[in-house]
Amino acid sequence: MQKYISQQNLTTLLDTLIKRGTRVVAPHMNAGIPLYEPLTSAQEMVTDQLPRRSAKEAFFPVCEDIMSYTKEGQKVELQDIDPARFPETVLVGVRPCDAAAIPVLDAVFSWDYQDEFFLERRKKTTIIGLACTTADDACFCSAVGLSPSDTKGSDLFLTPLEGGGYACETQSDKGEQLIANHKELFAAPTKAKTVPLAEPQTAQIDLKKVKAWLNDHFEDPLWDGIATRCVGCGACAFVCPACHCFDIVDEGTEKSGKRRKSWDACGFWKFTHHASGHNPRDLQPKRYRNRIMHKFKYYDDKFGQTLCSGCGRCVRICPVGIDIAAIVEEIGKK
Amino acid sequence: MSTNALDTTIYSAISAAIQAEAKRILAEEQVSAVIGYAAARRKGSAQPIIINNADDAAKLIFTPASVNNLALYLTKAKKDIPKKGKIGIVVKGCDLKAIVGLLGEAQLKREELYLIGVPCAGVLAATTQPATALTSETIAPKCTECNAQLPTGCDYVPNVQLPPQPPLAGKYSAEIARLEALTPAERWAYWKEQFAKCIKCYACRQVCPFCFCEQCLCDRNKPQMVETTPRPAGNTAWHIVRAMHLAGRCAGCAECERVCPMDIPLNLLNRKMAKELKELYAYEAGSEVLDKGPLTTYTDKDDQSFIK
Repeated sequence: MQKYISQQNLTTLLDTLIKRGTRVVAPHMNAGIPLYEPLTSAQEMVTDQLPRRSAKEAFFPVCEDIMSYTKEGQKVELQDIDPARFPETVLVGVRPCDAAAIPVLDAVFSWDYQDEFFLERRKKTTIIGLACTTADDACFCSAVGLSPSDTKGSDLFLTPLEGGGYACETQSDKGEQLIANHKELFAAPTKAKTVPLAEPQTAQIDLKKVKAWLNDHFEDPLWDGIATRCVGCGACAFVCPACHCFDIVDEGTEKSGKRRKSWDACGFWKFTHHASGHNPRDLQPKRYRNRIMHKFKYYDDKFGQTLCSGCGRCVRICPVGIDIAAIVEEIGKK
Repeated sequence: MSTNALDTTIYSAISAAIQAEAKRILAEEQVSAVIGYAAARRKGSAQPIIINNADDAAKLIFTPASVNNLALYLTKAKKDIPKKGKIGIVVKGCDLKAIVGLLGEAQLKREELYLIGVPCAGVLAATTQPATALTSETIAPKCTECNAQLPTGCDYVPNVQLPPQPPLAGKYSAEIARLEALTPAERWAYWKEQFAKCIKCYACRQVCPFCFCEQCLCDRNKPQMVETTPRPAGNTAWHIVRAMHLAGRCAGCAECERVCPMDIPLNLLNRKMAKELKELYAYEAGSEVLDKGPLTTYTDKDDQSFIK
């Protein structure tokens, strides 16, 4: 379904949702940095900056409690977290690179184990994507088969128009439902032209060729060459819209505490540190190799998708300038 | 204060001099490797590189994006870097202070280093967009208070004249003064907000030349010493442990602050510690090679006034 919504009506839509108790999550400034966070008013939404972290945290928070316990004498009580408490959510202003990573996460969180924390939030969330109008030289969505107007992952997709307002295109029943529930705010599509969209400069990468090379080069001097300088932090994985590894720890006292799930990263030395003391990924290049292998081979082997949507966040924030786009491009030319 | 462009035209002469010197010491086998900066795909970028043969010396550059403190790669935390024989390393004055500290802590041996010092007019605060011109606004805060533009005690320093620089307002001293003027409750609110942003990616730890512990206390889980999850309790504990462990050691390369993806002003804590050390013991980390600093020695002249 094609529709039009004015800027003012979009504001009204979000404010109405907030007033009715829906959690509206959008790019928003927090202590000087843009993050996807719940709004208290539609005016807080910022659309001109890529949030520092991706939209994955709307479903997969940085840290969440998954169980709690109390212990008194011999009596131990466990309390589950009830996912039914997760609120209905509208995630809005999502960049195409962030939205496209969400179906990629769906595949892994609903594979052999159904992750109720992720899936319940996912079920209750409607995603409003927004076409992208700015790219820098770290952006490479178009190199991994996406584009600044890609609708993958969105339930409703907005494209900003010359003269204001947005062209709306529904992508799912959830998107149709959102429009049906707020008919008065949407109008028939107009003939206004789309504002110029972003133009990422990186050339298309042949992902099949990259995968074919990775299939045969688990051992290769390339890994030392690109990753000896990797410092082993988790910044790349934590800002990534598709990285989804997590750690589980119990925190508290003998009397009471919580079991918590929080983001983990394959760059960390302890990520594969065994209880025996052995570490199969004992050197940083082996850890970095896993990052590339997981994104461009293992995930494809299992789910037929690439675990990278070209948002460029890791390229921008890597303390030592490791550039995944340049690396994959190089592999693609081998 | 208005924005002033800063003159970095000497950097091309410095790059050429670094290349020539690196080529010479590699060709003469004085060193087994040279750690420096090289350009990469993104416009204006400069990244750490380790070269082992003289032909690769042509890759070395120095630009306003040469932000990294390469001393990190000399430490035992970076076991992946083969350290056979003498190593050449490109250092700015601020990076050199870290090497001085590491020499004092018996982590490095001077005779195993070939120091290529860089006369430095400043580097960028952040390299998320490396093709940024160096101005009084984009310059790293540490450079506004730099007293080591011309590194001393190196094996080689390119012979170039540093351009006169417009006066820069010291960013840390101003911010420390602002925070010191707050009430303890207000200061606590400020740091609580900052620490709440932490996602425990440990980029700050991983780039710090002084975070070379084999096993970080904050990674331990048997027993857990500090909550490892990115939540208020564990975040606050981590940042306090970090700041305290660096007191009297950190010489202000500010890599922790530069790499923080959440823009937590980590070097403010380090500078505050440095200020205390200077006031209490007239001590400045990184200025000379010392076996022990004021916090690792005891004398009966030490200030006891805090015991009440």
